[in-house]
Amino acid sequence: MIGSMMRSSLSGLPQDQLMQMETTCGTLLYELQIIWDEVGEKDMDRDKMLLELEQECLEVYRRKVDQANKLRAQLKRDIAESEAELAAICSVMSEPPVHVKKKNNILKEELKAILPHLEAMRKLKADRRKQFVVVLEQIHKISVEIESGEHNSSKMVVDESDLSLTRLEELQRLLESLQKEKTGRLKQVLDQLNTLNSLCLVLGMDFKQTVNEIHPTLDHSENSKNISNATIEQLGVAIKRLRDVKLQRMEVLQDLATSMLELWNLMDTPVEEQHSFQNVTRNIAASEQEITEPNTLSLDFIKCVEAEVSRLDELKMSKMKQLIMKKNLDLEDLRRRTHIVVDMDSEMDIAIEAIESGAIAPCLVLEQIENKISNVKEEAFARKEILDKVEKWLIACGEESWLEEYNRDDNRYSAGKGAHLTLKRAEKARATVSKLPAMVEFLVGKTKAWENERNTSFTYDGVNLLSMLEDYIILRQEKELERRRQRDQKKLHGQFIAEQEVLFGSKPSPSKQHSVKKGARNSMGGPSGNRRFSHGGAMLQQHSSRQDLLLSAKANRIRKADNGTPGTLSSVRRGLDVVGLQGTFVKGLSFNGRDTTEAHTTRKPFTPLSSVPKPAMTPSKPTTDINIAVSSSEDENRIPLPIQTPKTPKTSNMLMSTTPAPEPRSIVYSAHNDEIEYSFEEKRAGFKLPPRESSHNI
Amino acid sequence: MQMMNGIGGGTELPSPPSDGISNLRFSNHSDHLLVSSWDKTVRLYDARENVLKGEFFHSAAVLDCCFHDDSSGFSAGADHTVRRHVFSTGKEEILGRHKAPVRCVEYSHAAGQVITGSWDKTLKCWDPRGASGQERTLVGTYFQPERVYSIALVGTRLVVATAGRHVNIYDLRNMSQPEQRRESSLKYQTRCVRCYPNGTGYALSSVEGRVAMEFFDTSDSGQAKKYAFKCHRKTEDGKDFVYPVNAIAFHPIYGTFSTGGCDGVVNVWDGNNKKRLFQYTKYPNSISALSFSKDGQLLAVASSYTYERGDVPHSPDSIFVRNVNEIEVKPKPKMYSNPESEAKSKARV
Repeated sequence: MIGSMMRSSLSGLPQDQLMQMETTCGTLLYELQIIWDEVGEKDMDRDKMLLELEQECLEVYRRKVDQANKLRAQLKRDIAESEAELAAICSVMSEPPVHVKKKNNILKEELKAILPHLEAMRKLKADRRKQFVVVLEQIHKISVEIESGEHNSSKMVVDESDLSLTRLEELQRLLESLQKEKTGRLKQVLDQLNTLNSLCLVLGMDFKQTVNEIHPTLDHSENSKNISNATIEQLGVAIKRLRDVKLQRMEVLQDLATSMLELWNLMDTPVEEQHSFQNVTRNIAASEQEITEPNTLSLDFIKCVEAEVSRLDELKMSKMKQLIMKKNLDLEDLRRRTHIVVDMDSEMDIAIEAIESGAIAPCLVLEQIENKISNVKEEAFARKEILDKVEKWLIACGEESWLEEYNRDDNRYSAGKGAHLTLKRAEKARATVSKLPAMVEFLVGKTKAWENERNTSFTYDGVNLLSMLEDYIILRQEKELERRRQRDQKKLHGQFIAEQEVLFGSKPSPSKQHSVKKGARNSMGGPSGNRRFSHGGAMLQQHSSRQDLLLSAKANRIRKADNGTPGTLSSVRRGLDVVGLQGTFVKGLSFNGRDTTEAHTTRKPFTPLSSVPKPAMTPSKPTTDINIAVSSSEDENRIPLPIQTPKTPKTSNMLMSTTPAPEPRSIVYSAHNDEIEYSFEEKRAGFKLPPRESSHNI
Repeated sequence: MQMMNGIGGGTELPSPPSDGISNLRFSNHSDHLLVSSWDKTVRLYDARENVLKGEFFHSAAVLDCCFHDDSSGFSAGADHTVRRHVFSTGKEEILGRHKAPVRCVEYSHAAGQVITGSWDKTLKCWDPRGASGQERTLVGTYFQPERVYSIALVGTRLVVATAGRHVNIYDLRNMSQPEQRRESSLKYQTRCVRCYPNGTGYALSSVEGRVAMEFFDTSDSGQAKKYAFKCHRKTEDGKDFVYPVNAIAFHPIYGTFSTGGCDGVVNVWDGNNKKRLFQYTKYPNSISALSFSKDGQLLAVASSYTYERGDVPHSPDSIFVRNVNEIEVKPKPKMYSNPESEAKSKARV
């Protein structure tokens, strides 16, 4: 029974093995029967034992069957799982599902068939995943770069549910677009950086610093640049700011350039000087984009241009002032030539001060002066006729005085060199003099007519012409009287001489009579006499001569006072006046040297010299200071000195009050002097010569 | 840049000497200004920048100073000593000594020598290169008739003015004796002597408001050109005041010159045309020294009491630097031909 069951269940085992086992079982049963027979077991026991045996066998079978069943179920489950996974993968990757052919419904083979597919699909999926990761990472990176501001750290996770190719393509497209955007932005940033750079160059700013402030990565040319929105925005802001600055500065510069051009035009600035600022003026009309040259708008450069403009401005001011001064000189010159005297020294000073303080525009002053010039010109035109006459009259007067002097010269007919010329001149002078009264009369008439017409008095160098003429007429009358008197006297004298002759038969020398008049000759140096006497000159005038008519009222007063002094003394005094010994304070000087040896009194410095006893001044002792002073003053007497008149303005050219340098005179020094002269410095330093050495002369 | 047209005294330099200014000079190379003073200092200013650049202190008053080159200079002191100063290092060397205070110092570029004049009645020449001892630096000692008051150089000519109105003219190449011995044409003590930039003569000023214009040419025609004129005087309340003329400075380009006197006035003259070109407004003190810069665009004016009235109170000493307008120094051709005035000036020459 067991054997058959076995056979039926264990069909897979080799037949002979089963057969053998059957035999072995049968043999064993047989053996057991033999043993039992021998033992004498009871049949009941025998059956019991056999049943046990049968049951044990059954048990073993049942266990095996269970195992096999379990295996089968496992297999089925595996297959199902694999198939499910396969399907899932396929669906995730949106691949067509793989159908595995079922072979003979044998489970193990089925499983074997599915597994390679599954493996393949898994690999495929992993690859796909990797691709996704790569793409996503790039996307993430770029988007982070673009939006660095909102740095979202949440890293992009691969969506496991969709790994399809379309999705991948989608992502790749996204990546591509992002990359495109990135390059675009990079380009934009580079463009902006370029703009910024050129702006910085033009404005003379530090590009690196400017850029660093925006983002530190931007100034490294080799490194990748930050291209985030914020950066771009900041760059934009910076560019706008700089552009605003540029526009502002451009305006300033163009203003400066305009004024510079104006100044150049105004002052004819040489091209070489202009050259250095050509790049400024070139940009005068340039638009903002056209100004690209580095540093054209830097603060330093603008400052430099500003300085130049202010320099030019100042130059213009000074030129203006020079012009004003020149015009003023012209005006003065014109006035002097037309003998119109106006006190304008102070007004000029005021004008210049006003210009300096900025109260008045120089052009206004210029205009005023121009007006004055034209006024003076007009006036000069109106005065011309009379002035010409006055000129002629003055020349005639000069000739008259010369003639008078000439007539007094006893040797006038001696046949010296050039005597014929003098004779001819005298002849001409006589003719002129004869016309003088008519001339004066005509002049008076003309002047009166002129004055009536204009209701002002005609002045010549500030002196009323009419009064001058009147003075002249009176003087002439006086002279006429004098002449008549002299003639009478001469007649009397002649009579007297004749009487004497009758008595004694001899003649006194007639030459003595003229000695009194000798002094007058000095002051009348012919027609070259001064027209514009100052009081310095006036003091040198000795007697009332024709020229005195032209003196100012002040000078007249002085002359009158001077006339009061006796002739001989006054000549000495006059000399002293000039050197400044009478009524003169020599400031800063102490004549404690040689002067005092003369006076035999030690005079304290800066006491008036007039306190020195008068007798000391007699020109008797040679080699004394005062003596020299007198002799030099005689030099000065010979030529009247044109000393500055107070009316002449400061700025005009003035004649130096020169005197011919006297020949060096030998003066015996200090050998017999009590005191040694010391300079201010020596006095201050307390320097004293050793006493013995002081008399030592090298 | 400051505008000046005879109004205002110019820019006043900061930190001026605290006592009388004995001399000031512009450098031949820059606008540096060297100033010596009775306050025992030598100061170096940059006149253009208006700053004090350096200061040297001595034991006694400094009576004169001059530049060697732009970086060094010389000074003459009341302590009988001649010194050399190096501005960059602040170092100073003693060139040598006189027997009395040294009144004036000049450096001759032509001879490469320093020339000093002293109240010990000598002139000494020094070689500034061998500055290691007096035996080596002293080139020669030349006796003068009197105490030396002022010296002036042009080319190789040296004019020495002393007390007693002596004037000696030397040729630097032969110092053994004076080329010419003269007496001042002026009758009073000599204050200052300066040579014409063209080398034909010299101007000499006296304590009595007068300046003589002299010529080296000793021929009659040469001497006929010389003349003297009065200046720095004024009349007030009928009294005449005459002031010493302390300083003369020639314009390096135009040859015109400025004079400064104890009246505090600076005049500019045209010696050839015998004209006064300009008068600047009065300064608070006597003018003790004047100097034109190398290009003649600046004029330094030392307004400083010169002790002419003894030890009396006076306003503080100061240095002014004024921009010189061309109109103030350029000789003008005669503005209008007035035959009479021409004849007059001819008659006077």
